This record gives sequence, C-alpha cells and structure tokens, in this order.
Amino acid sequence: MLTYTLKRLAVAIPTLLLLIVVSFLLMHAAPGGPFTAERELPPQVLANLNAKYGLDDPLWKQILTYVWNVVTGFDFGPSFIYKDRTVNEIIAQGFPVTLTYGLLSFAVAVVVGVSLGIAAAVRHNSALDYAAVGVSIGAQVLPNFVMAPILVLVFTLWLGWLPGGGWQGPEYWILPVVALSTSFMASIARITRSSMLEVLTQNHIRTARAKGLPEHRVILRHALKPALLPVISYLGPAFVGMITGSVVVDIYFSTGGIGKAFVDSALNRDYAVMMGVTILMGALTIFFNLVVDLAYAWIDPKIRY
Amino acid sequence: MRQTFKLAASALALSIAFQAHAATVPEGTALAEDQTYTFWLLDAIKSMDPQINTDVEGSDVLRNLFEGLYNEDGDGQLVPGVATDHKVSEDGLTYTFTLRDDAKWSNGEPVTAKDFVYAWRRLADPATASEYAWYMELMQVENAPEVIAGEMPPDRLGITAVDDHTLEVRITTPLPYFPQMLVHGSTFPVLQSVVEENGDDWTDAGTLVGNGAYTLTEHTLGERVVMEKNDTYWDSDNTVLTRIVALTINDVNQGLTRYLASELDRVDIPAGQYPRLKEEYPEQAVSTPYNCSYIYMMNVGEKGPEALKDVRVRKALSYAIDRDIVVDRILQGGQRAAYNWTHWAVAGFERPDIEYAGWSQEERLTKARELLEEAGYGPDNPLNLNLQYNTSDDHKKIAIAASQMLKGIGVNLTLDNYEWKVHTDRMQNQEFDLARYAWCGDYNEASTYLDLFTSYSGHNNGEFFNDEYDQVMRDSKTAEDPLPFYQEAELILADQMPIIPIYHYANVDMIAEDIRGLPQNNVNNTWYGKDMYRVAE
Repeated sequence: MLTYTLKRLAVAIPTLLLLIVVSFLLMHAAPGGPFTAERELPPQVLANLNAKYGLDDPLWKQILTYVWNVVTGFDFGPSFIYKDRTVNEIIAQGFPVTLTYGLLSFAVAVVVGVSLGIAAAVRHNSALDYAAVGVSIGAQVLPNFVMAPILVLVFTLWLGWLPGGGWQGPEYWILPVVALSTSFMASIARITRSSMLEVLTQNHIRTARAKGLPEHRVILRHALKPALLPVISYLGPAFVGMITGSVVVDIYFSTGGIGKAFVDSALNRDYAVMMGVTILMGALTIFFNLVVDLAYAWIDPKIRY
Repeated sequence: MRQTFKLAASALALSIAFQAHAATVPEGTALAEDQTYTFWLLDAIKSMDPQINTDVEGSDVLRNLFEGLYNEDGDGQLVPGVATDHKVSEDGLTYTFTLRDDAKWSNGEPVTAKDFVYAWRRLADPATASEYAWYMELMQVENAPEVIAGEMPPDRLGITAVDDHTLEVRITTPLPYFPQMLVHGSTFPVLQSVVEENGDDWTDAGTLVGNGAYTLTEHTLGERVVMEKNDTYWDSDNTVLTRIVALTINDVNQGLTRYLASELDRVDIPAGQYPRLKEEYPEQAVSTPYNCSYIYMMNVGEKGPEALKDVRVRKALSYAIDRDIVVDRILQGGQRAAYNWTHWAVAGFERPDIEYAGWSQEERLTKARELLEEAGYGPDNPLNLNLQYNTSDDHKKIAIAASQMLKGIGVNLTLDNYEWKVHTDRMQNQEFDLARYAWCGDYNEASTYLDLFTSYSGHNNGEFFNDEYDQVMRDSKTAEDPLPFYQEAELILADQMPIIPIYHYANVDMIAEDIRGLPQNNVNNTWYGKDMYRVAE
C-alpha cells in the first residue's frame, strides 16, 4: 500500500508539470492580455507594465521562470490585476473560506445523502421511499444558481433570519452550505439507495438475516459497506466539484472565496492568479482521487494494491 | 484672451474659496445614533493605491481614504481639498497652489507639497508601471511623455514643491479645465516613507496611511472594505459618518435583495426594474445623469467593410435605430436617447442643433431607406454586417433590438458576442464592423469625450481620421470659450457619422431614505463620506 501511494505521488509530479505547461500555453493563446482595457494603453505604458511583470520575455522563459519560482520558493508571483496582492496572499485569504464551506457542504451532503438513501432502500416502495426519491430528484434539478437567490429571498428578505451574504461568522455559513450541498446530497442519496437495494438482495444478506441478526445490524454491518462502494467513487470528483463549483456560492453569497477569484482571473487574464488556482485545483484533484482509491481498498477486501 | 483666461481662473479660485465643505447638517436635524453607511460594490477593489487604481469603484473608496488638491460638491463644483486656492500664470501654463497648513496624514505627519510631488512622479515613473500614467500626459504636465517613456528621470516632471505649502505645476498647453482634472484619484498624494517601507503591502488595512476623512480598517478581497473616521483629518470636527462599509456583491439582483433586506444603503437598480421600484419606493429609487455615453462604433478604417466607408450607409444605419425604444422599453431607468457623443449633462456643454435629432422616427426611416438605396443597397443587394458586443444581458437586448430595427431598412446584422477581453482586443485591432462601445468622462468637461475621435487620440478604434475635426479640437484648447468648437466637432460627427450614438447613461440607484449628502446633481457621481450623514428615522 505504501509503495502504491508513493508511486501515485511520484506520477503526480509530471502530471502537475504537464498541467502547468498546457494551462500556461492555453492562457497565453486566448486573445487579449491582463492590460487590455477599453482605454487602450499608450505603447510606452504597456511596455513598462510588461517589463514589470516579465511578460516581455519569450514564452518558454516565462514558463521556466514560473515553474522555478513555484518549485524553489512556493512563490506564485504577484497578481496582475489585484496589484496590491500576491497570488499567495489571494489564495491564503480565499482558500480557507472555500475549504470551510466546501468541507461543511461535503459533510452535510454525505451524512444526509447516505442516511436518506439507506432509509429509502430499507423502506423500499413506502411513502418514505417515494418522499426521499422525490426530494432528491427535486434537489438535483434545482441548480445552485437558482437555489442561492431563493434561499436569500426566503431566509434574508422574508424571514430575516440569516444574513444574505458575507463571511463574518458561523451564521454566514448556513446559506452557502445549504446551496452548495443540496444537489450533491441528492446524488449521494440516489446512488446509496440503488446500491443498497442491490446489496440487500445478495446472498450474504440473506445469510445474515437467516442467522437471526436484528435488521439494523444487517444493514449497518453487512449491507452498508458494500453499498457505499459506488458512493465513494463518486465522492472524489464530488469534492473537487464542490471546491471548483464554489464560484456560484462566491458570487451569490459574497464569501470572498477562491472560486470567484478563479473565474475572474480567467476573464481578466490575470495569468498569475489563474495559474496559481489551477495548480491548487489540480493538486486537490490528484490528492482526492488517491484518497478515494485508498478508501476503496480499505472497504473492499477484493481490491489490493 | 490671456486677460480673460486669468479672470476666469481667479473667478474659479474665488468660487472655490467661498464654497462650503464637509457635511452641512441643517439645524434641528435629528441624527441617527449609528452613523454607518454601507454601499454596494459589483467587484472586488483591485487596488487601494491611488497611483495604481484604474476603477470607478476603487476611486469611490480612495476618495474617502485620501484627499487631493480639490474635491467636488454635490453639484460637481470644485471645493477646496488640500489646496485652498491657486493662481494661474498669464500664459495659463503655470499653476501655483496654496496648500492648507492643517492637513495631516493619518499617522499625524503634516501633508506637504512634497507629498504631491512624490505621488505625481510616482504615477509617471516607468518603475511604477501605472496603467494611469497617461493621465499625466492628459493633464499636459511638462515632460510627462518623456518621463513615462523612461527618457527623462521622474524628477524632471513639471511639478515642484516651492515650500511645504506651495505647489507649482507646469503644463505645456493651456487647459481651461485643468483644476477639474485634479479631482481624479491618480493625482492624490501618498506618503513616501510608508510606500517605500512597505512595498506592495503599504495599502494593507492597518498599514495604509492616508490623508482622507477615513482610514482603512478592514479589506477582505471580494467580501468587504471597512473605513472608520480619521480623527487627524483637518475637517474631522464636521465629519458626521463614523463608519463606511463597502460590500462586494457580484450579482446586481442579489444586491437589490440585500438592499431590500436592509443590509445595504445604496445599490444599483438592474435594467428594467426602475419603473416598478420607483412606484413601490418613490423616495428611494433615484435616477441621475451619469457621465458616460453608449454608442456603436463603426469601423471606417482600412480593415473595415467597404460599405461603412460610405457616409450614406453610416447615416442610414444611425437613422434606423430607434433610441426611444432602447431607453423607454429596454433600459427604463431615466437614460436619455443620444444623437450626439458628449453626455448632455456635462458642465458647460450644450448640444448643437443636430438635424436628425429633431426628426420623427418615421422621417429617419424614410431618409435611411433613401440613403441606402442611393448607396446601391436594397433587396437585390442586401447589406450584411456584423455587430459585436461584450457579454452582458443589457448589451444583448440592445443588440437584438438594433438588429430588428436595421432589418426594417434591409440590413442584415449578425450579432457576435465576445467576452470582454476578446471584444476589446478585436476592437483595438480593428477586427470589427460595428462594435458596442462606451466612454465615461474622466472629468466634467466635453473634451474628455470629443478628444477621443481625433486621429491622434489612441482610442479611436474605428479609425475615423478627419483633418477638420482634428483642427477644431486643437483650436478648442486655446479658445476663450471652447463651446463653439465642441459644437462644431459634434456637427462633424453628425455629418460624418463614424459612430451611432445610442444613449447617455444614468445612475439608477436605490438609496436608503435616511441617508443625506449623496450628490444628486453631479454627473461624475463623485461622492465623499465626509459630506454625508444619517438622520434619525
């Protein structure tokens, strides 16, 4: 297992390098640059800016300098647009915010989704099952950019219970977490339900029941673990999806998270921020895929690395 | 001419000296206990550095943290800032400002002429790489082009501290509106010691030292900016608001919901919602003129389509657009139909008599069809053009309406939507037929618009090069009264029609009923927290 983990981590390095090079080239291929503005800059001013940010070097040199700074100093450079800040500062401010509501949403989605799925499967074809399926399909077709304004309308404007945006304390976390977790929760509930239904028809469950085990032990000890396998394979991409999909939360709830910074950096051609966040997202994706694969081996004895 | 110029300048100096400043609270007004004002920002503030900032939103914040030579009042008139008055030399090229002796930085140090010298040199210095360095050139400050190009050291810039409270600025062309340009944030002073000690971090909350009525206490990128009253400000005794908060909300509809939930005191009204809100909240929904004009620029240059080189076609396209539909049916926020370039509310500007503005839309359409036929286009030879616009619901709606209107005279308009940077890049490379464009005045004077269509402006993306126009604009610079020249320039634009004026902007806002002191009659919407207060409900 350790060798496997190390091998996977070793492969991650060239993957990230490839990601850097491809993103860098794609980014520079897009028309316009960080200093393209409605008021075209005088050539001399533009030249001064390009010189300051090293954009007058040939592309290969820019890539090498960039990778060198990242590898040796963990220095992602200054933002081209938010000029008072470095990329490290922008990530340091935005990422903890995104991570906070991302992890909370993840926890809510998993706990609620799995519970709902199990309940629906166990009480198959009951009113509870129909309700759970109804709720999860409803939640899934309601995208977060529709959810978010509705939540603010109801809980901020009509009821006045919660702040409509900002990031000043736990009461500010609730609406973003609900908006972000709902559709993931719905998917997890549906996957858990169908997987659980399948597991419940298998022989080892019949055996467990035949032994006279109480139903809750059958479900929790014998059915849950195999039923969770498909859920777990969904969780890796889901977590990354939550972090990268956080742009909607950032826009509607003004959290100051990294998602909005990422989208803005692409639109503003803020090359440095775009690269920094891309690398961060890439590393997260690689890391969570590894975690999922390891979790697989832990749950499923048939899988050994 | 010189005599008049001098008189005009001293009249200005007098008017400055006698203007009231700071919050003027009428006697007997009951003030609210909590003097906090919370306003809306569409996007995160990109920089708190006066010489680096390029955004209108950034300027709104900077005006509270720093103070330049002059400020504006609610009507857009100049009032003293750090300068109490100034003298202009007979040739109109040397300005001598007298600075007040009680102005202080937020760390207690006095504000002196040297701070302005440092800031202005810093703006022009290639090492700063400011995107607003060109503003020094626009102000015609002596040696600015050479300093920006790195051909002269920054200390050759035409600004000198005669003593701590006397500042001398030399410009190369007489500019009657030069004092108006000093309201701009890029001319604000900064404190050399703080900038040099802290590098790019000098604008962090807690580190930033300003000379404005407020100090920066919190800046969470994309979330909020908090400013608290600065007790070292020279007029802090008359400053009533104690706290100013700016909340970043990237979605304008969400901003409105949060305004209605009382989380904000001011927010922009999304397009089309003004009539409803005005009816529901007559005291809160306000529309005031705003110093920007919206046009479709036509590419009349070499890379442009053949058809647009024909003035008859350009006129036909312009005549066919029904501006009333755009302002009354699409925008609905008190914007005005445009038949010329300069915003109607710009100080000292009067629109000349532009013939087609007075016609009915029927008349315009008839004329448009005639012109198009004369130019050889018709059902047998339809005219096909592309209109590009940058991503925005409003631009899209207007573009769709325009394409329908042009279809009425037999022109097929293909709509191309590009994201902002691509749109701009294509315009600057003359890769367009017609393109959406808007310009917001840097200062409250018509030349900020009209200079744009000179052949030497650098922003003239449609490549409308006209010697007569250039000459008129050159002559306006030295004229006693530039208005006739500006009107002449507008008439050339109407005659040559390199652009299709669509509408003049309005600021369409919801403003909380208990807020006082926001400008209602200032086309640049330059507001200062120190002039505001909150009444008890």
